[in-house]
Amino acid sequence: MFQKTLVWLFISLNTIVFAQKTYQVKGVVLDAITHQPLEGVYIIGDNLHAVTSVTGEFSINGVLEGTYNFKISHISCKHKDITVIVGPDMPLIKILLDESDNKLDEIQLVGKTKKRIIKETPTVTELVSKDFLVKNRENSLMQTLSKIPGVSTIKIGSGQSKPVIRGLGFNRVVVVQNGVKHEAQQWGSDHGLEIDQYGIENIKIIKGAASLVYGSDAIAGVVDIEPNKVPLENSFKGEVNLLAESNNDLLGISLGLQKRKEKLFYRTRLTFRDYADYKVPTEKINYDNYIFTLHDHNLRNTAGTEANANFSVGYISNNVISETFISNVYAKNGFFANAHGLEVRISSIDYDASNRDIDLPYHTVNHFKVINNTSIIFNNHTLLFDIGFQNNKREEYTEPTSHGYMPKPSNTKERDFHKKTFSLNIKDTFKPNGNHIIVAGINTEYQDNNIAGWGFLIPAYNRFTIGGFAFDTFKINSDFHLLAGIRYDYGVIESKAYNDWFQSSVDNEDGSTSLIYLQRSQNKTLDFGNISASVGISYINNKTTYKANIGKSFRMPLANELASNGVNYHMYRYEKGNINLEPEESYQLDLDISHQFKNSSIGVSPFANYFENYIYLNPTSNYFQTQQIYEYTQAKVVRFGGELRATTTIFENLQLNASTEYVYSRQTSGPKKDFTLPFSPPFSTLLSANYQFNDFRFLKEPQISADFRITADQNEIVPPEEVTSGYQVLNMSFLATIAAFNKSTPLQLKLKLNNVFDTKYYNHTSFYRLIDVPEAGRNISIALTQTF
Amino acid sequence: MKTIKLGFIASLMLLLVASCSSEDDNEKDLQKPTISLNYDAGFPKACEVLTKGETYHFKAQVTDNLELAAYSIDIHNNFDHHTHDDQEATCDLGTIKDPVNPFIFIENYSIDQGLTSYEINVSITIPNTIDTGDYHCSFSVTDVTGWQSVTSMDIKIVE
Repeated sequence: MFQKTLVWLFISLNTIVFAQKTYQVKGVVLDAITHQPLEGVYIIGDNLHAVTSVTGEFSINGVLEGTYNFKISHISCKHKDITVIVGPDMPLIKILLDESDNKLDEIQLVGKTKKRIIKETPTVTELVSKDFLVKNRENSLMQTLSKIPGVSTIKIGSGQSKPVIRGLGFNRVVVVQNGVKHEAQQWGSDHGLEIDQYGIENIKIIKGAASLVYGSDAIAGVVDIEPNKVPLENSFKGEVNLLAESNNDLLGISLGLQKRKEKLFYRTRLTFRDYADYKVPTEKINYDNYIFTLHDHNLRNTAGTEANANFSVGYISNNVISETFISNVYAKNGFFANAHGLEVRISSIDYDASNRDIDLPYHTVNHFKVINNTSIIFNNHTLLFDIGFQNNKREEYTEPTSHGYMPKPSNTKERDFHKKTFSLNIKDTFKPNGNHIIVAGINTEYQDNNIAGWGFLIPAYNRFTIGGFAFDTFKINSDFHLLAGIRYDYGVIESKAYNDWFQSSVDNEDGSTSLIYLQRSQNKTLDFGNISASVGISYINNKTTYKANIGKSFRMPLANELASNGVNYHMYRYEKGNINLEPEESYQLDLDISHQFKNSSIGVSPFANYFENYIYLNPTSNYFQTQQIYEYTQAKVVRFGGELRATTTIFENLQLNASTEYVYSRQTSGPKKDFTLPFSPPFSTLLSANYQFNDFRFLKEPQISADFRITADQNEIVPPEEVTSGYQVLNMSFLATIAAFNKSTPLQLKLKLNNVFDTKYYNHTSFYRLIDVPEAGRNISIALTQTF
Repeated sequence: MKTIKLGFIASLMLLLVASCSSEDDNEKDLQKPTISLNYDAGFPKACEVLTKGETYHFKAQVTDNLELAAYSIDIHNNFDHHTHDDQEATCDLGTIKDPVNPFIFIENYSIDQGLTSYEINVSITIPNTIDTGDYHCSFSVTDVTGWQSVTSMDIKIVE
């Protein structure tokens, strides 16, 4: 946070001749270090003024020929006066602004423009910058974000994880990328999020009920990966990232390029990562009464590989910005070989021959996306269109074996999930005057889900949803904002019939038995309608910001929750859907109070939440074909908790941070009354310290940081979970820049030491926790980033 | 400043209350039932050899702190050595082969209400027509809360 930021102000001024011989003064302002456009820079002259937009651009129309003085000011820079001669053939003017004297103030102020917007938004929102992502980058995007209080992950293996916000995940958290909801197999716990974490500049995280804007599923929160800012005119920029890790012998490379002429711009990013089995700080794993001896601490067959490609082309003019993104994310990951799901397996495969190969069981995931974002600005309106197509395919391969009445299958393809999603969002932002911002829009989505393979988990289904919403942000005064809105959604789910491919023995009423192909799901068409609403206020009183938001959100039941009916041998259970499930409805109250002291800040964000009918896979006492029956039921659930965060600067170069998160959940009705919810995250605190040294020889801006996570026991469990003990883990990192190739774009170096003491601990929300596999051991990683 | 302080104190209290109230007023059943064959009459023991055409009494002792609910017995072939049992003994397994007409026994039973201790006793006749070789036998039991325990053993069926 203390790094010197050299702020360049680059203004290209050009003119367009009008009939009345007036000219348009156009320009753009950017930060030279981060190459991010600077928003909120004031360009003030005699009766002329402009403020730079999100893209850093500004224009002043109707300027007559002559000489003008402009004052250029930005809160993080020293003011500067410039003189511009407006007329035909104006020269291009470049202005270099000096940074402010106090580095600390400058950083705080740079952040404030963005922070100010967040402060004025009544929803409890967290902005994640590229800087945070670079400094905290872990093996997957969600692991990186789990440093944010209130955000955690459900993960499997070293590189795959799904978002959890305040204890809720899967289909209760929406991930949005470039304006379109990411649609994959969110319901499954044994794979991760198909998004390349390189090249992301801004993420907005909403902790709380957000169906109003994001529709069904945004019941617990949203991870909104925003489109990157448009590159500057006549610019070309590139970035190479290299990464190596010791724990799983990972090698990664990512290359990003972007270019803009005048109106057309292009961006591309290619990422490739390959890693071996990861190491755990134990020689053997005790699961139930089984003992698996590990070879060289390697968690057998957890190697993986990932290849991603993104390309986009965009067009920008005064009134229109349009960008089309094409991306493909591919991953192949092995699963721990000694247990498949909960089932202990023996294989003749020599897993220990190499720690880099991927044997059975493994899966492949491919996610292809085409998205177009187009925004049109006219009068006081900004009209935004998001059109998307996504094709998600996940295939799981296992050594076949017989189970129950199922004979040994002839091939290794156990599961195949194939989802195609078409999305169309239209949104209009209307600013009738300075006090209101009215947003109205519709979201539509059509999904076509197909299944294949010999294992049945979820039926094939089609789903169509449409929702309309409107909300108003009312500026009561500059420090007091009110947001209120309402939404209605309608959805249809059409689940498809599925019969076993093998016969099972069934007892008839007359005492005889017959062999039949059991039906696991039926042809059913169900429709749902639901209202969401939200009201919130934000009040800024000098250095204190208060927020309060109350909202109602909902989630449509999934096809497996409604219609599944079969044995999941993976988890040793018989899963029974319930066709009578109602859409989940949740009411949530969020508060957020933050205060800025001279050298420190403190914030607290408590919440209270009530689910009318939380959908939950309840383990019953009964059996079907010797498998315990788990039945989808709905229960009332009360949850509350929150996060505390504090930051202080002891002296100029030392910064301390502390954050704490806590969630309490309780089912207040139904068969598991008084129990918590599955995968409840434990009480956890993160303490971190960051110290910046003076430049040392070739190392510029060297800084060292330490993160110490203290997590309490998780004794709040629900069958079939196990209690998980608390733990403490220390991570260290060292960052510096080296002027290796170019002084203005130095090489960025990051050394990281995760799990310094090679502590053996269990993560309550890890899929492998179920089979008593501890978290990864010590890891040393080196990351290099060179921009050009 | 006062309102800030009050706000913070109120929020801190809320978090404190939240952390303290995790001590439950209502007793929750957090214990799994137990299942054991480690007594004289327990059957089959690990590596037991069963003969085709014979009838055997499969016996296990199950207990629970609150109330037992149901149990199941599953016998399936292990001709491909896909898994092993959770008993301490290691049995000699035969050669890997493909099943032709393997023995499949899949049955569920309920336990009378109100019991915390029960002896499973199921008589099973091994059919004459099935494949001989390595088999797996597993017992599972549930309690009224929905907790389950499973135990399994390698057995062999011979002519």
